[in-house]
Amino acid sequence: MDIATRTEGAVARIAFTGHLDTNTSPQAQEALDAMVAGGARTVVLDCTALDYISSAGLRVLLGTVKRLERDGGTLHLFGLNESVREVFDISGFSTILKVFGTEAEALGG
Amino acid sequence: MHQDSRKAHCTLGIDLAEIDRLNAVFADFADTHALPARLRRTMRMVFDELLNNTISYGGAGVIDVDVELVGDRLLVTISDDGKPFDPLEAEPPDTTRSTQERKIGGLGIYLVRQAMDEVGYARVAGRNVMTLTKRITDD
Repeated sequence: MDIATRTEGAVARIAFTGHLDTNTSPQAQEALDAMVAGGARTVVLDCTALDYISSAGLRVLLGTVKRLERDGGTLHLFGLNESVREVFDISGFSTILKVFGTEAEALGG
Repeated sequence: MHQDSRKAHCTLGIDLAEIDRLNAVFADFADTHALPARLRRTMRMVFDELLNNTISYGGAGVIDVDVELVGDRLLVTISDDGKPFDPLEAEPPDTTRSTQERKIGGLGIYLVRQAMDEVGYARVAGRNVMTLTKRITDD
């Protein structure tokens, strides 16, 4: 999996490309932890090139949103493909995470 | 790996990197039989969920994975010689909880059960045997 990050003030953007699963979740966790530790309050996760996610990936996202919310922060996601959206729907993550259709909405939401 | 017309077999060592090797084997099988892209992604998730746990905590020596096409169904058998463990006994997660209350345990097997048509477990001759069935539909 490839991870790209960009931070502007309190808004941190991160894009995952590939699979967020058992083997790649430690790498994703590290990148997200660094953003939160660096003071990011709004993290915008670009899932456009995220092929699929397993529960190991959901665990990373849940841990991140819990830490962000404790300090009044938030995690916004956009660009979910059908497979990722299906996993979100089945797991109930669609209702507990803030999922947007476009990057503009995710940045503005 | 051994692959004949409608079957493939893969023996995995106890290493998380083996999940990627199985995914490569299954990708070849899926190419050979022109399986839909959605099913391929589903199986990646299923393999990840089931093997992660067995490799990390199962105490097994090797894991055997068999896939077979029977009619319009994909049959998958995953067996290991680790300690007895029936993942289907896990409590289903409460998918209605809020983020702060939400726990992650049991989510993997829940996703597998939702993704597949049938999921079974048996302890057979000192082995854990998971059997999974998925009817193949076009994307």
